[in-house]
Amino acid sequence: MAGGCSIRAIWILSSQDAVVYSRRFPVVERRWRLACDKESQSAGATDSLKVVPYLPTDSELAAAFIDRKKREGSVRGFGIRTSHSVKGSDSWVDDPITRHIISLNIDKEEQGESHFIWPVILHVKGPFYLLALPLVEPHHLKTYARMCNRSDCGNTIGEDENLSSLLLDLPSITGAFMVVHTIGDIVTGDITEPEVVASASPSVGGLLDSLTGSIGISGRAKPVATPIAASATSSTSVSGTLASDAPKIGSRSLDKDALQSFISSAMPFGTPMDLSYSNISAMKMNGFSSVDVPSADSKQPAWKPYLYRGKQRILFTIHETVHVAMYDRDEIPDSITASGQVNCRAELEGLPDVSFPLTGLGSAHVELLSFHPCAQVPEHGGDKHAVTFSPPLGNFLLMRYQVSDGIRPPVKGFYQLSMVSENEGAFLFKLRLMEGYKTPLSLEFCTVTMLFPRRMVVSCDGTPSIGTVFSTERSVEWRIITSGRGVSGKSIEATFSGTLKFVPWQTKKPPSSGSVFGSIDDEDSDFETDSPNNIVNVEDFLAEKMSKDLQAVDLEEPFCWQAYSYAKVSIFPAVKAPVELSAQVTSGEYILWNTLGKCPVAATRKA
Amino acid sequence: MTTPPPPPKPLSSQEWETLIEDYNHGRLHRWTTYDYAGPPLVDLALSSILRKDFSLHLKQRLLIFLEEHSISLFTSPASLLRLLETLRLVIQSPNPNDAVSLSFSFKEQFLISTTSIFIVHGTFATADFETLEGLVELLLTIVNRPNHGIDRQTRAVACECLRELELAFPCLLSEIAAHIWGLCQSERTHAAQSYVLLLAAVIHSIVVYDKAPNVSILNASTPLFPFNVPRIFFENDKDGDDSDDIVGDDDEKNVSSASSNLKETNVRYKELRRVISFLLEWPQYLTCGGVLEFMRMTMPVANALELQASLLKVQFSGLIYTFDPLLCHAYLGMYLRLLDSFDGQEMEIANRLVLQSKELYLSYQNNVVFQLLSVHWLLGLIQLVIGRDVTKRKSFADVMSLSFYPAIFDPLALKSLKLDLAAYCSVLLDDFGTLKRYANGGTMTVEVGSEVSVVKLLEDGLMCVSGFKWLPPWSTETAVAFRTFHKFLVGTSSHSDLNESDSSSKRSPMELPIFCAIQGMLIESTLKFQGLVPLIVSFVDRLLGCYKHRWLGEWLLETFNESFIPKLNIDYKLGSYFPILERISANERVSPTGLLELLANYMVVLIKKHGPDTGLKSWCQGSKILGICRTMMIHHHSSSLFLGLSRLLAFACLYFPDLEVRDHARTYLRMLVCIPGKKLRDLLNIGEQLPGISPSTNSSSFFNLQSPRYHDPKKSRNISSYIHLERTVPLLVRQSWSLSLPVLRLDDDKQSLESFKDNKTTGEPKELDRSSSSIEIVSDINRISQLQEPLRVMDSKVSEMVGILRKHFASIPDFRHFPGLKIKIPCVLSFDSELFNHSVGTSIPSDSCGIDSLPAIYATVLKFSSSAPYGNIPSYHIPFLLGQPVKKDYSFSETNSLDIVPVGNGSAEDKRFKAHVMIELEPREPQPGVINVHIQTNADNSEIIQGQLHSIKVGIEDMFLKAIVPEDVPTEAVPNYCLDLFNALWEACGTSSSTGRETFVLKGGKGVAAISGTQSVKLLEVPFMSLIQAVQRCLAPFVVSVTGEPLINIVKGGEIIREVVWKDSDSDSLSEAPNPDARLDGGPLYIQYMDDENEKGPHLQISKRDMGCFLILIFLPPRFHLLFKMEVCDVSTLVRVRTDHWPCLAYVDELLEALFIE
Repeated sequence: MAGGCSIRAIWILSSQDAVVYSRRFPVVERRWRLACDKESQSAGATDSLKVVPYLPTDSELAAAFIDRKKREGSVRGFGIRTSHSVKGSDSWVDDPITRHIISLNIDKEEQGESHFIWPVILHVKGPFYLLALPLVEPHHLKTYARMCNRSDCGNTIGEDENLSSLLLDLPSITGAFMVVHTIGDIVTGDITEPEVVASASPSVGGLLDSLTGSIGISGRAKPVATPIAASATSSTSVSGTLASDAPKIGSRSLDKDALQSFISSAMPFGTPMDLSYSNISAMKMNGFSSVDVPSADSKQPAWKPYLYRGKQRILFTIHETVHVAMYDRDEIPDSITASGQVNCRAELEGLPDVSFPLTGLGSAHVELLSFHPCAQVPEHGGDKHAVTFSPPLGNFLLMRYQVSDGIRPPVKGFYQLSMVSENEGAFLFKLRLMEGYKTPLSLEFCTVTMLFPRRMVVSCDGTPSIGTVFSTERSVEWRIITSGRGVSGKSIEATFSGTLKFVPWQTKKPPSSGSVFGSIDDEDSDFETDSPNNIVNVEDFLAEKMSKDLQAVDLEEPFCWQAYSYAKVSIFPAVKAPVELSAQVTSGEYILWNTLGKCPVAATRKA
Repeated sequence: MTTPPPPPKPLSSQEWETLIEDYNHGRLHRWTTYDYAGPPLVDLALSSILRKDFSLHLKQRLLIFLEEHSISLFTSPASLLRLLETLRLVIQSPNPNDAVSLSFSFKEQFLISTTSIFIVHGTFATADFETLEGLVELLLTIVNRPNHGIDRQTRAVACECLRELELAFPCLLSEIAAHIWGLCQSERTHAAQSYVLLLAAVIHSIVVYDKAPNVSILNASTPLFPFNVPRIFFENDKDGDDSDDIVGDDDEKNVSSASSNLKETNVRYKELRRVISFLLEWPQYLTCGGVLEFMRMTMPVANALELQASLLKVQFSGLIYTFDPLLCHAYLGMYLRLLDSFDGQEMEIANRLVLQSKELYLSYQNNVVFQLLSVHWLLGLIQLVIGRDVTKRKSFADVMSLSFYPAIFDPLALKSLKLDLAAYCSVLLDDFGTLKRYANGGTMTVEVGSEVSVVKLLEDGLMCVSGFKWLPPWSTETAVAFRTFHKFLVGTSSHSDLNESDSSSKRSPMELPIFCAIQGMLIESTLKFQGLVPLIVSFVDRLLGCYKHRWLGEWLLETFNESFIPKLNIDYKLGSYFPILERISANERVSPTGLLELLANYMVVLIKKHGPDTGLKSWCQGSKILGICRTMMIHHHSSSLFLGLSRLLAFACLYFPDLEVRDHARTYLRMLVCIPGKKLRDLLNIGEQLPGISPSTNSSSFFNLQSPRYHDPKKSRNISSYIHLERTVPLLVRQSWSLSLPVLRLDDDKQSLESFKDNKTTGEPKELDRSSSSIEIVSDINRISQLQEPLRVMDSKVSEMVGILRKHFASIPDFRHFPGLKIKIPCVLSFDSELFNHSVGTSIPSDSCGIDSLPAIYATVLKFSSSAPYGNIPSYHIPFLLGQPVKKDYSFSETNSLDIVPVGNGSAEDKRFKAHVMIELEPREPQPGVINVHIQTNADNSEIIQGQLHSIKVGIEDMFLKAIVPEDVPTEAVPNYCLDLFNALWEACGTSSSTGRETFVLKGGKGVAAISGTQSVKLLEVPFMSLIQAVQRCLAPFVVSVTGEPLINIVKGGEIIREVVWKDSDSDSLSEAPNPDARLDGGPLYIQYMDDENEKGPHLQISKRDMGCFLILIFLPPRFHLLFKMEVCDVSTLVRVRTDHWPCLAYVDELLEALFIE
């Protein structure tokens, strides 16, 4: 099915690896069967691998999934080839994407035969594992089977058969990912619309002022300022903890009927047509009445089954997230990236076109602009000065952008932590907040957290020049600015120095299971352990000691967080009085690296 | 006809749930046995669907159940009909007011399920197309109400159903295309998408499939109702051809034929163009999935109609700028189809994909997978474009190389894929350089700029996982980093390109800067961080395991050998590098010299640093060193490492503090020295792992080692037929008997065996002990000599004689307190290859030649036992022995049991087939005997062979030793000393011995011995020459004096008997003993001799021509003596024999006969 996307089956497994929901699409399966018949006719007897039209039962699938989990070390697998990889398995292909596009070997007990199925899309969401099997052509399957059975040292780039070409050739895989993501959100109840809030004064401003400069709306609608309740931004959780792909406990039971009806509407025959949950559920809930008259003069888009009636207004919210890595070292430049998105809610009657100005984009070094499908993007991308769109219902994400040049970080400074003994460290913060920012930009909330995921803090001595300090077992949180005491129009300096006492370090054996790559434990246990006095620096000694039982992180993590010492900055805005436009900046990974410790770096692009 | 079974009982909703669950899990058994299967179950389900008391949710679930399992359930056409009837009933029923939307969705599901079931079962082989027509009609009825408000979603679903039918049975609706277009144009609700897609599908089949009826699309020629299945389906069906379903990849083929057909029918072409331009207005109103379907349907049509690509571009170019991955992919799909018309835009698309992969945490639902996908698309795209047009390499490479530095917060998966791209760029840059090289006429003018940037690309790229150096080896960063090393290293040499393999090995890797860079990085960081060692090892292993890139692995090992080993510090940390050293040592192409030197130095360091605390460490490190030595022995030719390795091992044997290490070192040294190369390697390979010796990554192999197998005991019985242990010098006397002395054995007291006793009372060795026990023992022995002479006063001559004897006995070790005197019997062990193979069952490949084809035995242990009083016979160990070749004609191997084998015989090669064995006896009694030999050995296949070999006979001549000369006797005085001793003993053993009561203290002073002599004579009737030859051959070492001029003249010329006292017979002044030469004409002794002999006859014929006399002194361990005085005449010789151990006379007689007469 060149170019199409159809799905043969979907399974949802619980964290206990039992199938809790499954759905097969016989129409798609019939296509697969016919393709297989044809393939076997044309291939003849010479082809060793035979594709058979076969779909596993729920029990067989669960068994195969468990089997793979055992073989590949974790639910998602190794992803890249390790010494534990075996020929014929996904990690043999040596590509991180095999953690998401997996293959399964189905053993049929009674016939004693084994069936190889690929591509199975795996998505882990909440306590569920979602699996989807998109329709591909038999020769794709054969290609992949050959790829993971080759006896060589790993895929090279110029290979005739490679995963990249396969994936480029198979939109059904992309589509299947969309499907499982949507379903994953449904089963976990995570369906959230893009947030649209507004604030009286932009806090920290849009770092990219030009975007928010002026907004003109063409068309028949007028913006209406009506308060909407904005939910508080969910606090950025500490991402320094080890991410595990084991689903969290405390699952809610699966609403099979809701899922069933969503699937029936979104992909009645296995071909996804509309994955918008809000539209589908609206139609399920409300149906259509005679009031819903189609507009007389224009076509109603499929993604807008209802037309808005009522007071008209349009709201925009710009969310920006800054990712900062501050090193305060000569040889390593700081890295600052701001990613922004413009969320919109257009309560406009009829089917108006809205034009959103993008003035001054050229000077702002916007690296990436991507738009909602409803936007009419000119042929050569976003170098125009405005984007015109026909807004769908509800909140939606209009566009995304990313900037990494020419922005000033709202919090700047350094962090130093030096271990004076094995269990005692001295630290120093020197920060400047809001340097170079003018009113009305304000910083509403700023905390800096020293995270010690691998050590327990006994006590923290020291008084900051501003703000308060709270320490927990694994972190010390310095609340520089708390809600209600926002800083605007001036830059302030904040310093904080003191000492930390830790619980003495105890070597714990890294659990052999659980880590993605498995620990290499057959190596000599008498790995040269030198006494501390052999090493000049207590810090190095400690680092060496502590890094020994570090576990491997998931491939989905940027690096092994626990191996570094750093402090994390959190800034986020408080809830604001709504107007039609608001902009706010939250911190993403806003990291102050310990100047005296190791730090992860990446080369920057030299244009 | 039997009555049909009664229909199964209706099920409750709960039971239905269970049934569905069981069907999904494949647990059909419990239901099918009760007939809840097939058509009856369908009937049951359909009636349940109509029941009012079931919830709509359950009914929906039932529908899906029927749909999913329709193949096994709908086995009769009647079920389909029944299904359709039920559907009609449901559709036509009014919606209950309370659950409008729910009932709508129930109806929709019913439509979908029914359509699905019909599609799955729809072949036109049966006449049931009427039911299909019924279904289509019903769907058309629903569809045919455009803009109807309330049921718009139902109409959309019905359109979808029709579309699926059309897709499954192409051209099914082509006759009513005009009606559908009409509906499309008028529909204005959101359901229009379904109408449009339906129309697109119909048009698609008209264009792509040839069989479409030639009806106008614009003007409806046939009425919508009643619907008839087009005639073409029946025609097709006559062939029994199921090709009514054509899957996607046929499109292209059909399109080409279709477009030519279209041109001919001009009217139709125009119609189609109109329709397609209508359709192309729609994409922006479609959902994402809709767009994808739409493009799938319209692209082939546009192709067939030869629409301008720019038309499509305008419509779809926006898709790549959306953040919806599916739309981006749809755009890429179009791009791939129209590569030619999009020529020149690849950079724009590539840039776009680069940017998409850069989206940080705002990416689609924060999931890395879409970022990974976009990198993959980019890779696929570049490959595709470059595959078509090589000239675009450079532009891609330049752009990509700068845009693909991974960012710091990129997830590792993305980082690793970006690094893949960087590696790909390096390939492109490198190839560009190569191209340039060729362009310049083959001269090596490499573009410096690009080459440098390749290295920089790697260095900068790796920076993002720089933690790999110091993080634990199992960390993900290291995995990613080494994956990147691999990609960069392997570069262009793809596995699929088979004929390139030889050319790549020709190309020296050092030519390329990227290799130097990687090598440098690996070496530098490994020197700094030992944690990388296991990674390096598995990296090398990975390359070595590849048929294509083995050379890279070997090259890497070579560079490590050259550049890494010299930089290593020799201290305890070296131990953590052993896995690498192990790999180096295992590689045949790398010279082991440097490594051996390093290990030797380390050995020295270990020994120096050894102290009370380092015992375990020394053992561990030492064992590891030996493990590497072992690996070397396995993989290298012995010759290349013999010198260094033997030195190292010898050093370890001598000085290493740990016993086990010393032990192992000795074993290895022994093996290295004894066993030829290939056998040694095979042998070491048998057990890849020795405990505690060679820790390698694969620890399991130790446990796989086959346990020693014992050779079949039945086979062991004939072991002596192919393994032979033979005496080097055969015995003169072949019969085997030995005199057993029951008298001596009766006594339980072991001491009574010997005529010794401990000199307990005094520490003074010279003092005579006269305790009663001593006398008793002595008398035991001496009672044979009847004469019990009283003590005499010793005259000076006697005392001189006694003095000599005392001195002599004082140098004889007392075997009870000292190591006894040993006699050695040299033997040779050999075995017959053919018989051995036959018996043991080792199969040696027939094609191998030379010694490699011969079997070998290893670690042979020979154990000896004997009933004769030979003391404890030490076992003998032979590390290695090759079998004797079969085909070559070794004369001795065929007849070896009989012939004398000269020791020096055979070439050097022969020595490999023979092992010299020395049997050491410590006789308690000089008597012949038989030694039983037990062998235990190992065959090539590690089978243990054991059994009894032929016994070795020990003759009395084996006991012959030269007299012990005390240390204080100067060398030049030895002959005279021996002669004096002979004379003294001769006198002491004589019948009228004046020393009969004397006892002599043995060495050590604890034991004493007494002499009780016996004498005898033997006449040998042999010519003097043969006698002299025999003496020279066998008794030469024991001759102490030769007298008589004629004899001296003969013997001296032979040069065999040397360093004895030569005495002319004329000047003979042996007064203490009667000179036989002088008294041949008769004398008291002569007569006495005659009396003893009882054989006068032969003697009488003896010619009187005396020639001289041999005096022969033989020491018999442990402390006895045998004295010959041979009076040589020309035709016969009289031998006078005296001994202090009378049992030996029995053997001496035979010996003399065997020696001289035969």
